[in-house]
Amino acid sequence: MRSLVDGTGAMVTGALEGAGRAVRLFAATIVRLPGCWRSLPQILRQIDVCGYGSVLVLALITGLTGMIMAMQTGHELQGFGLVDNLGAIIGATFCREMGPIWAAVIILARVGSAMAAELGTMTVNEEVDALRVMSIDPVRYLVVPRLAALLIAMPLLTAIADAVGLLGGAIATKALFNQPIAVFFDSAWSLLTGLDFWSGLGKSAVFACIIATIACDHGLETRGGAEGVGRAATTTVVDSVVFVLLANLVMTAFIIKVLAPVFG
Amino acid sequence: MRRMATNPSTDRHLPRERVEDWPTDRLEAGVPLAPVPSGKEPLFQVRDLKKSFGPRRILRGIDCDIYRGETFVILGGSGSGKTTLLKHLMGMLTPDYGVLSVGSLDLIRASEADLATYRRRMGVVFQNAALLNSLSVLENVALPLIEVDRRPPGEIHDRVVRALRRVFLPAEEILHLKPADLSGGMRKRVGIARAIIQDPEIIFYDEPTTGLDPVTVNGVNELTLELQASMGVTSVVITHDLDAAYMIADRIAVLYKGRFVAIGTQAEIEANPHPVLRQLLSGSTRGPLTEGYVEDEHRIPPTPKGIRRKTSWADPILADPPADPPTPEAPHGQ
Repeated sequence: MRSLVDGTGAMVTGALEGAGRAVRLFAATIVRLPGCWRSLPQILRQIDVCGYGSVLVLALITGLTGMIMAMQTGHELQGFGLVDNLGAIIGATFCREMGPIWAAVIILARVGSAMAAELGTMTVNEEVDALRVMSIDPVRYLVVPRLAALLIAMPLLTAIADAVGLLGGAIATKALFNQPIAVFFDSAWSLLTGLDFWSGLGKSAVFACIIATIACDHGLETRGGAEGVGRAATTTVVDSVVFVLLANLVMTAFIIKVLAPVFG
Repeated sequence: MRRMATNPSTDRHLPRERVEDWPTDRLEAGVPLAPVPSGKEPLFQVRDLKKSFGPRRILRGIDCDIYRGETFVILGGSGSGKTTLLKHLMGMLTPDYGVLSVGSLDLIRASEADLATYRRRMGVVFQNAALLNSLSVLENVALPLIEVDRRPPGEIHDRVVRALRRVFLPAEEILHLKPADLSGGMRKRVGIARAIIQDPEIIFYDEPTTGLDPVTVNGVNELTLELQASMGVTSVVITHDLDAAYMIADRIAVLYKGRFVAIGTQAEIEANPHPVLRQLLSGSTRGPLTEGYVEDEHRIPPTPKGIRRKTSWADPILADPPADPPTPEAPHGQ
């Protein structure tokens, strides 16, 4: 019984300690962000890694998701003669939720884990120590370019996800319910507002901060050689999923309760 | 009064006192600080330095002076606290207790700005070179010039080429290669080139010859001596390699369980009866360094006098097998 209490206590303490460390790292990164132009080559390299490399897989997944949503929802709506509303439903779902969430999932699985593994390997190989002894700030040199790259790439990927998801839905609606693509998009535009689009992009920027901070924190705190690097990559994915969904819940409530009455 | 070793055929050059004759407090006692010789100026002053990580006491009272311009080699077994001590000297760790200064700078109370200034006076050669794999050789060596000194590209290129040539590397051929394209010895030399690119006053070497072939080991040692002679730097070297220590050291310090149990020149170290040193010199697995590591029946006997076994402290069990004892047919052993 005592060991259970001790174990739980240690787990909670460890989690709080990790959260505090990540918040400190995020604050240190944000402070250094205005000077990130000095790291432009590294930012471009990171954008290439995380943005360009993720476009195809993201397009494939969101396109398929749009099609599946059209099939499932259209099948139900057909009974009520409401297939004309498919564009509005799929458009709202993608711009508000599916676009930013899919972009976040692809980035955290594909890029977040790789970021943690790369920084973890650098940590265990003493490359981060080497930077410190050369008076090169690891946060400025390693973390800022990654966060800046994700802040640029994630909203772009989200916009692509929105567009491809809608297109997938439109194609499936045309193929299965013989509804013209123009009707699908008219339906979407009739419901969607600027808030839907911009709130999705705003969410993706927050997700970018969460993923970059967790990945860099786990990477820079890696201990224990190859096993530690593997652990850093895995925990990055798990922690990022949890915090992305938690942040999404909070932001969705904020958008519905606070922003929608004003801008909606 | 020292007693003769019990088995002259195998323990001939071991101390006359046996390990059992050294009580723990005497075995682990730190050496008293020696007076500074005339003509020497202490650069580093370390007094009663202590550091713990949680319940583990890593440094238990380090006392030493490191003189300006000397090569000070730190020997010690795995877990003895060598790297922790080196990180303190580099200003990367703060001790729990003690005094640590370099010149007039108190490293414990120094501000970040003072530490940054201090770090620009030093170069560090890491065990695995610690080159950034995503950068080319040119970018790796130039890193402090680009990121810290902000020198113009033309000057950076010239200085990198000069530094690479200084460590006997074909600069033009390897400038644009990635570290993964280089051999272990070349990577180590590139690491040394990066350490000297800012013309440091102090160079720290963290096990510079570990994992290298004997020819490259000699090359790295000669390079250390050459840099010492040409740049007049103060060098602090951590190594497991006794031959390397003898080759490059002005003084050798032996770290055991978080304290220096011996500091001196090669002759002083060889004459010291401390069991840790005896074990180091003989390459035996009998002794305080391997206490509890090896079952008695698997222990390697000490090497006969005159044959010094090359020993790796990293894993005493993997040390070379013992030489056969001399016989009338083979007077020098097999």
